[in-house]
Amino acid sequence: MAQLRRRGLIAAVVCSDTFMKLGTAQAKVFGVPDLPLLKIPHPLGGLNIEKVRERAAAALPQLLKVVKEKQS
Amino acid sequence: MSSLAAMLKAPGALIECDDDPEAVYEFLCSKGWSDGLPVIPPTPERVERMLAYCDRDFDQSVAKIPPRYGAATPIRVAANAVMAGCKPEYFPLVLLALEAMAEEQYNLYGTQATTHPCTPMLIFNGPVAKEVGINAGSNVMGNYFRANAAIGRAVRLALVNIGAAIPGTGDMATAGTPAKFTFCVAENEDNSPWDPLHVELGFPREASTVTVVAAEGPHNVNDHESLTAEGILTMVAGTMATTGSNNAYYAGQPVLAFGPEHAATVAGGGMSKADVKRWLFDHATLPLSKFSKEGIERRFRRKQAGQFADAPLNTPVHMWAKPEDLIVIITGGAGKHSQYVPTFGNTRAATRALKRADGQLVKSIQELKRA
Repeated sequence: MAQLRRRGLIAAVVCSDTFMKLGTAQAKVFGVPDLPLLKIPHPLGGLNIEKVRERAAAALPQLLKVVKEKQS
Repeated sequence: MSSLAAMLKAPGALIECDDDPEAVYEFLCSKGWSDGLPVIPPTPERVERMLAYCDRDFDQSVAKIPPRYGAATPIRVAANAVMAGCKPEYFPLVLLALEAMAEEQYNLYGTQATTHPCTPMLIFNGPVAKEVGINAGSNVMGNYFRANAAIGRAVRLALVNIGAAIPGTGDMATAGTPAKFTFCVAENEDNSPWDPLHVELGFPREASTVTVVAAEGPHNVNDHESLTAEGILTMVAGTMATTGSNNAYYAGQPVLAFGPEHAATVAGGGMSKADVKRWLFDHATLPLSKFSKEGIERRFRRKQAGQFADAPLNTPVHMWAKPEDLIVIITGGAGKHSQYVPTFGNTRAATRALKRADGQLVKSIQELKRA
């Protein structure tokens, strides 16, 4: 994902809130500190489909924002 | 090669604190540079002594340790080895283990950051393990033996201090394992009925190797009753076949560490190591019905649709992907116990031989002593 970002493509990583520190640190390590992290509530595993949809609903506006910022 | 003195002049290379042992302990814990236990302060003099058997440039990285991707240079690793209580003779083995873990197949990033309770299990073979005193006998996976304790601990401290495997931010283990303090064994080659691991893997018998496995802690197999190979292996297979093992989902290479007495019974029944692996692959299985309904649907029917989409509930689920993936060693002392060591799954073991700078195998650690 870091490589896609460096190539100028729209790229983002879905990250549960518990993993945000790791995600932020990794983005810096890979040289893309501005890599967008789409924050969703933890956990991601062991969810029924309704809870998965809730995560998608949390991530979607953040993704659209990333896309719009790139386009502008 | 930069001189050690010059390296120590680099900004941040030296930190001063009160030299009282309790003050040093408090200081290192406050910085997050310990494993929670007291350490030997890594003074420049001690670090220099630790490098007495290092034939590499002290500032040449031998591995990048994720998730920080910090450079594991001998001088940095030596500081951690001092802290862990290593003798200088152990140091080349610590470095060798880190090199092996950096091989792509080991998946060091995944094993460092995962929620799974894995840690490097270090399996040493060959003459140098015996020379430096790595225990292969009684209580081999337990306490008491300095080399086992300090070598594994040095590796863990390097993973934390160089790689930033810090619980909750870089090491996301849900619970971890006590094996994270150290998990270092030698194979009991003198009491094995089969070729030792490194010979099986194609290394010369006189080579000294480390095999690194991203392992859980060991699970005991108690069998005081069986008199036959099939009897022992039946008990082993029953211990291996568990629904919660990563190996049931992600393959990988779990380890069977036979106690010498169990190994003798199995070999006495005419079985080779390859026979053991095949037998256990066939028998260490669970029927699909033993998994949860959600697990069957999500983990098997969807993610492994080619094999399980329409499989009946009595279909056997193997505990690893191929018979030969099981790693079999002999270690420990007297008694009717063996150990099963599941792994992270999404990882392969890596084996490296100890070599001099000229590429020749090291037959004695003394060959590496600096002039």
